[in-house]
Amino acid sequence: MRKGKLIKHIVLLATAMVVVYACVEPDALQESEYNEWLSGGSQTVFTTGVSAFSSSFPNLTVSRSTVHGIGDGGFGQTFVSAPAPVNPGLGPIYNNVSCTSCHVNDGRGKTPVNGEQITSLLIRLSIPGTDAHGGPKPVPGFGGQLQQRGIFGAAPEALIKINYTEQAHTFADGEKYSLRTPEYTLQNPYLPLPGDLMISPRLAPPVFGLGLLEAVSEADIVAMADVADANGDGISGKPNYSWNIALGKKTLGRFGWKAANPSVLQQTAAAYNEDMGITNYLFPLESSDGQSQFNGKYEKYDVSDSILTSVAFYIRTLAVPARRNADKDIVLQGKRLFAEGKCATCHVPRLRTKTDVSFPEVSNQVIFPYTDMLVHDMGPGLADNRPDNEATGTEWRTPPLWGIGLTLVVNRYQNFLHDGRARTLTEAIMWHGGEAEQSKEFVRTLSKSDRAALIAFIESL
Amino acid sequence: MKKTFIKTLFAAAAIAALASCSDDNDGTTAPVDETFNSELLVDFSTGVAQPTYTSLAAKTSTLNDQVIALTTDNATDTELAACRTTWKEARQAWEQSESFLFGPVAADEIDPRIDTWPVNFADLDAQLSSDVEFNAEYIDGLDDALKGFHPIEYLIFGIDGAKKATDLTAREKEYLKALAANLKELTAELATSWNPSTAGNYHEAFTKAGKGSKEYTTQVSAFTELVEAMAGICDEVANGKIGEVYVSDKPEEMEESPYAQNSIIDFTNNIKGVENVYLGKYTTDGKGLEDLVRAHNLDLDSKIKTKLSTAIQSLGKITVPFAQAVKSQSVQVQGAIDAINDLQKTLEEELLPFVQQHAK
Repeated sequence: MRKGKLIKHIVLLATAMVVVYACVEPDALQESEYNEWLSGGSQTVFTTGVSAFSSSFPNLTVSRSTVHGIGDGGFGQTFVSAPAPVNPGLGPIYNNVSCTSCHVNDGRGKTPVNGEQITSLLIRLSIPGTDAHGGPKPVPGFGGQLQQRGIFGAAPEALIKINYTEQAHTFADGEKYSLRTPEYTLQNPYLPLPGDLMISPRLAPPVFGLGLLEAVSEADIVAMADVADANGDGISGKPNYSWNIALGKKTLGRFGWKAANPSVLQQTAAAYNEDMGITNYLFPLESSDGQSQFNGKYEKYDVSDSILTSVAFYIRTLAVPARRNADKDIVLQGKRLFAEGKCATCHVPRLRTKTDVSFPEVSNQVIFPYTDMLVHDMGPGLADNRPDNEATGTEWRTPPLWGIGLTLVVNRYQNFLHDGRARTLTEAIMWHGGEAEQSKEFVRTLSKSDRAALIAFIESL
Repeated sequence: MKKTFIKTLFAAAAIAALASCSDDNDGTTAPVDETFNSELLVDFSTGVAQPTYTSLAAKTSTLNDQVIALTTDNATDTELAACRTTWKEARQAWEQSESFLFGPVAADEIDPRIDTWPVNFADLDAQLSSDVEFNAEYIDGLDDALKGFHPIEYLIFGIDGAKKATDLTAREKEYLKALAANLKELTAELATSWNPSTAGNYHEAFTKAGKGSKEYTTQVSAFTELVEAMAGICDEVANGKIGEVYVSDKPEEMEESPYAQNSIIDFTNNIKGVENVYLGKYTTDGKGLEDLVRAHNLDLDSKIKTKLSTAIQSLGKITVPFAQAVKSQSVQVQGAIDAINDLQKTLEEELLPFVQQHAK
C-alpha cells in the first residue's frame, strides 16, 4: 500500500526564491518578479508522474517535513469498525474508508463505469430552508450527505444509480461532439425520502496547492467579485460565506465545489466526519447521530487532534507541479485564446498570497492557480438546484486549473466538473453556461486548430 | 544487460568533461540516446513489469486452485501448507512489483483492493457469523479492509501461524474461497492492463513516452516516474512499514503480514523489486537503468549496487519476527531503516538528476 509518497527536495530556480512583495500591490509586479512556469511560486515541484500531486513543499524544514509525513500517513490510514486495535471508528455509515481511497494519488475522483462501485463521488442532501447558521437544511433521518455504505449490519442510507444520456452537439465548423447528462436516482432508501429533497453530486477534487489558496487574502478575493456586474461584462462572481466552526462565525468560503468551506482544517474535519464517520474535535457527533442507525458508541474522538491537524498540514503543504511545454508555440497560441475567450476572467491566472509569518512557506507567493475562488452562475445545464450558503442552485466555484494536464498520468482517467460528467477538457468547456455562455460560444466557433491550441494550453497548466 | 567493457570505456571517456559537474551549468549538454532510452522503457515493461505481474497472477491462480482443494471435502494440513507456500510466493511477486507503483495498479485502485492493512476484524467476524452469501458480487462490493492478501493470510495462517486445517469452519471456508477467487481476478486484471495486446494497455502508454503517449509526453517523464517509484517504495518501507511500527506503542498490532510472519520477507522483496527495476531484470536481463548509468558513470553504478545490497543485507540481520525485533533487535531494525533511507537518498539525489540529464 502506498502510504508515504516522496518528500522531494528539488532545488528551485534561483529566480523563484522567496521575494518579499509585502509593500507591493499585485498590479505592480514586474515580470522579473515571478515565473509563469512556477504555478505554485516557490512551492512548485518538477514532477510529472503518478506522484505529481503528492510532493511536499520543497523547502519544508526537517521538523515540518516530519509533520507532513505524519499527515501523509494519516491521509492513507484505512479505518475499520470498532472495536479494533488499529484505526477503529469507521461508520456506522460512510462513503469511504480513507482519505486516499477517494483522493487517489491526491488527485481527482472517478465516476463509476460498467456497474463499478461508486467510490469517489458523493451526494449532498438538503430540504428547502436553512440550518441555524444559514447552511443547507439537513434531511431528517439522512443529514446533509448520503452515506451509501455501512459497516456490517448497518444499511446504506440509499444506493446511488447514475444514468447518462448522450446528446450530440456540433462545433461551428461542423465537427461533432457529445455531452453526457447524468441522472441520479437514490435506490432502496432505508427510510422514505422526502418529496422536496434536493441533491448535489460532488466528485473528490485534487488536494494539492490548497495551503496556497488558503493564503490568498480575503480582500483580494472579494476585490475580484462583481456581484451586480457593475462592469457589464456579463460575468459577476460572488464570494460565498459559511459557518466557520473554529471561529464561531461566518467567514469567506474557499473550498469545495461551491466554496462552502472556510478552511483546509474544517474541510478535512468535515470529510472525516461525513465521509468516514470519524468523529473529531470540530465535528464531535457521529454523522448518524440522532438517526435510527446510530449505534450509541461514543468513547472519544475517532481521530486525535494531532492526527487531524497533521493531515490538514499535509494537505496545506502539498506542492503544485510546474507547467510543462509552456513555451511551445501551440501553447502560447492557446494562451492568447484563453484570454480572448474571457476564460481568464474567472479562471484568473495569477494571484498573490498574503504575508503570513506564522506560515512562511505560503507567505508572499506569486501563484498561478487559474481561479478567482468565487462562485458563478454556470447556467441550467450544470445546476444542482440546491443552494449552499450564499451560493444558489446554479452557482459553482471556479475550480483551479493548475496541474489539470497531469490528471491522466496521476489518475488514468479524466472526469471533470463537479460530478465528473465531462470526459475531456473540451467537454468540460462545452458544459459551461450562464456567466460563461459567451466563453463557451467563443470556443464553439473556433477553428479545429484553435480548439487544439486552447486544449494544449490548458494541458500545459 | 551489461555493455562491453570497451564500449563503456568509450562512453565514459566521451563524457569525461562532465564527470566532475553535477549539472549542465558549463553549457555542455549531456548525451541523450533516444533510441536506447526507448529500448530501455520497452525492456522495463516486457522484462520487469509484465513478468512480475504475470507471475503474481499465476501464483494467485494456483492459490485459488489450492483453496478450492482445501475447502472441498475435508481440509487437510497438507492442503493448508500448500496454500501457505503459494500465498508467500504470490506475496513475493506482489512486493517486488511495489517498486513500480504507477499506472493501473495505483490509478485503478488495485493496490488497495488487494493489499489493505489493517483488516476490519470486527466486520470480518460479524460476516462469518451471519448468513450472507459469499459470492463474487458480494466480495466485489466489500470494503478494501475485508478482502485481498491480509484477510486470506489471517484465515490460512491464524494467529502466529498456529492454524490447523481442522480449525477452519465451514463459513471461513466459504469466505476464503470467495476471497481467493477475487484476488485471482484482480491480479489477472493487473497483468492484462500491461499486456500489449489489450486495448488501452499501459505498456503502450509507458513505452511510447515522448512518442505520442498521453500520459508521458516526454521520455524523461517516464524515466522520472521509474526512479521516483523506486525511491518511493524505499521511503514507504523505511519510514512507513518499518518506521511507523518501530515508533508505535503497540507494534504487534501495527505490523503488516503478522500471521504469516512474513514482514521481513515482504520488506526484502520490496528492495529486491527496486533492484529488478535498476537492473532491468526479473528473470531475463534486459536493458535497465544500470546500463544507462554504466555508460556514463561507473561510480554511481557501483554506489547504487552497494547501497542495494547493504539495504538487503541489513534486513537479513533481523532474525526474529518483525514485531518482536522492534523490541529485541532494535539496533538491527534501526540499521535497516538507515540503510534503506540511505539508498533512497542516492536514488533521489543522484540517480534522479542523472536520468533527467540523460533523457529528454
